[in-house]
Amino acid sequence: MLFKCKNCGGNTVYSPEKKKMYCPHCESTDSEEKLADSSLVQCVNCGAPLQLTEFTSACKCEHCGTYLIFNERVENAFEPQLILPFCIGKDLAAAAMDHEFSRRLFAPSDFLSAKSLEKMEGIYVPFWLYDYGAFYDFAGEGTRVRTWRSGDTEYTETSYFEIIRQMDVDFDRIPVDASIAMDDRVMDLMEPYDYKALADFEPQYMSGFFGEVYNQEAEQLDTRAQAKARQASEELLQGSLMGYTTVRPYRKNLNLHREGFCYALMPVWQYVYRYKDQSYLYHVNGQTAKVIGVTPVSRGKVLAYSASVFAAVTALCYMAVHVLEIL
Amino acid sequence: MREYFRYFKWLYIILAAVALLAAVLHIGHWGLAKTLNYQRTNTECLTDERVFDGAGVLSDKEEEKLRRLIAKREKQTGCDIVLVTLNESLKEYARAIEPGVISEEYVRVYAEQSWENMGFGYDRPDGDGVMLVDNWSREDDGSIHTWMCTTGRARDAYYVEDIDHLLDNVYRYVEKNPYRAYKTYVNDFYHDMMGWKVSHLSVPGFVPWLIGIIAAVIFAAVNWRSKEGKKTTTATTYVAGREPVFRASQDRFIRKTVTQRKIQTSSGGHGGGGGSHGGGGGHHGGGGHSR
Repeated sequence: MLFKCKNCGGNTVYSPEKKKMYCPHCESTDSEEKLADSSLVQCVNCGAPLQLTEFTSACKCEHCGTYLIFNERVENAFEPQLILPFCIGKDLAAAAMDHEFSRRLFAPSDFLSAKSLEKMEGIYVPFWLYDYGAFYDFAGEGTRVRTWRSGDTEYTETSYFEIIRQMDVDFDRIPVDASIAMDDRVMDLMEPYDYKALADFEPQYMSGFFGEVYNQEAEQLDTRAQAKARQASEELLQGSLMGYTTVRPYRKNLNLHREGFCYALMPVWQYVYRYKDQSYLYHVNGQTAKVIGVTPVSRGKVLAYSASVFAAVTALCYMAVHVLEIL
Repeated sequence: MREYFRYFKWLYIILAAVALLAAVLHIGHWGLAKTLNYQRTNTECLTDERVFDGAGVLSDKEEEKLRRLIAKREKQTGCDIVLVTLNESLKEYARAIEPGVISEEYVRVYAEQSWENMGFGYDRPDGDGVMLVDNWSREDDGSIHTWMCTTGRARDAYYVEDIDHLLDNVYRYVEKNPYRAYKTYVNDFYHDMMGWKVSHLSVPGFVPWLIGIIAAVIFAAVNWRSKEGKKTTTATTYVAGREPVFRASQDRFIRKTVTQRKIQTSSGGHGGGGGSHGGGGGHHGGGGHSR
C-alpha cells in the first residue's frame, strides 16, 4: 500500500514533528488517501522492480522515491499490535548526534565538519515485548561488622541475622528486538522507550520510513527476555540486602513465568557517515534521541588529554606534598 | 585548542591555586628562615670543623658544600650539626668504654664520646646539637651501622619515629650518592627543628608519578569506554509500579560475637632507640639504623 495526497497526488508521509500525515509536495496535512495495491516485486506507483529482503515490510522505491508498505507483511499474523511512532525527525536526530559527538572527548576535532552523510533511514524495528511474573524466594545469613578501639585494644563486633526475602516482581513489556540485521547489543543500549507513547498499529505511521517484519518468533527470543528479567530480579534482591557486610544464601529460587507478549514496532534512525575513507554507523532512538555508535578516536587527542591529566595530577601531588611539608 | 582549555579549565584553576598556596608558603618559610640567626655561645668547643669524612666517601668539593650548608643551618636551628664518616671497626673502642655493648651500638658509643670529647654544643659544651656517625666498615655481624646522636634542644625535639624517618631518608641515597644522603640529613634536621617534620612525609619520589600515570590511564579508559553509548536502563525500568512487592522481608537478629586484639604501638619517647646514655655529665638521645 501507499499513501497519496488527495490534493496533489504526491506521496504523503508521517511527520514526527507535526505528528500527523503530511504531504511534502503541497505541504497539506491529513490529506492522505490509502492506495491498497501491494506487490513485493515491483513498485505499485511506478512499476520499477524492488529489491527486498525477506523481512522488509516498508521501503522507499529507489526509482520514484515513493514510500511503500507491504500489506502481506503488516497484516494478519504479521500485524503489529503496537507501534511507537517516530517522535523526532531526521533533523533533530542529526542534531542529537552532533551534540553527542561534541561531548565525546576523543573524537577528532574535525569529525563534525568533515564527516559526510552516506545513508540515512528511519526504520521501524520489530520488537517482542514480554510480560513476566517473577517470584524470588531467598533465605540466608547476613553479617554486620562494627569495629572500634578502646585504649590499645581493637574490638570487632559481628552481628548475625537471618534474612528472608519473598519478592514478587511484575515485569511489563521487556523489549527484545526481533531483527537479525540489527545488532542486539546496540538495540539493548537504545533502551528505554517511553511506552506511554505506544499506539495501536496503523500503517500510516510507517509511511516515510523503512520497516521490517519480525525475523524470529517470540518463542525463539524468550530466553533473551528471560535473561533480562533474571538480571533485574537479581539486582532488586541485592538492593534489598544493602547494609550487610556479607550475605550467605541458604535458599535462592527465582521462578519466572511468562504472562504474555506482544509484537511492536519501535522507531530507530540509522545514519551512516563517511569520515577519512571509513564508514561509521549510528543509531538514534526515534523517540528519545539517544545516540549509539562508535566515533573515531583521535590518537593525538588521547595523547594530549591523557598527558595533560598525567602532568597536572603529578604536579598536584608534588605540590600537595610540598604544602603539607611546609604546614 | 579552545575545546581543550574549556575542558581542563577547572583542573588548571585548581593547579594554579595549589601552586599559589605552595609559593606563598614557600616564600613565608624562606622569609622566616632568613630572620633566624642564632648566636653561638659555646667557646669551649675544640674544633670549628663539622664534616669528618674518615671513610673518604665525599669529594673535597662536596665536603665544602656540606660545610657551607651546615654553617647556614646551624644559625637557623641554634644547634651544632656534625657529620662523621668512618671506615673502621669500632668494636674494641666501644667495648673498652662499655664492655657489654652490642655491635649495633658501637657507633652510639663512638658518637657520644666524640661529642663530649670535642665539646660540641651550640650554646655550651654538650649543649644543643646533633651528630650523625656513619661507619662504612662492616662489623662482625656483617652490617654497616649508623647512629644519630642528639643533645639538648635536638634531643627534646626528636622522638624515635622522627629519627627513624630521618635515617630512612638518609639510607635512601647513602649507597649511591653519599653527598645527597648527608645533605638530606642536614636539611631534614633543619626542617624537623623548625617543626615542619619533613621526615614524616617521606613519600617516595616515584609515588606522585605513579599516581599521575594511574589517573591518566583511568581518564583515558573512562573516556574511551563512553565512545559507543551508555546503558540507561535500571533494574526497575520494566517493573510495574517501579518497585517489587515483598510478601516477606525479615531480618531477624540471631547472635553476636565480639573479638578483640591488642594493637601494636611503637613506644614514642624522647631519646629512644636505646640511645639514652649518661656519661661525663652529658645526656644524649638518638637512634640508629643498619644496612
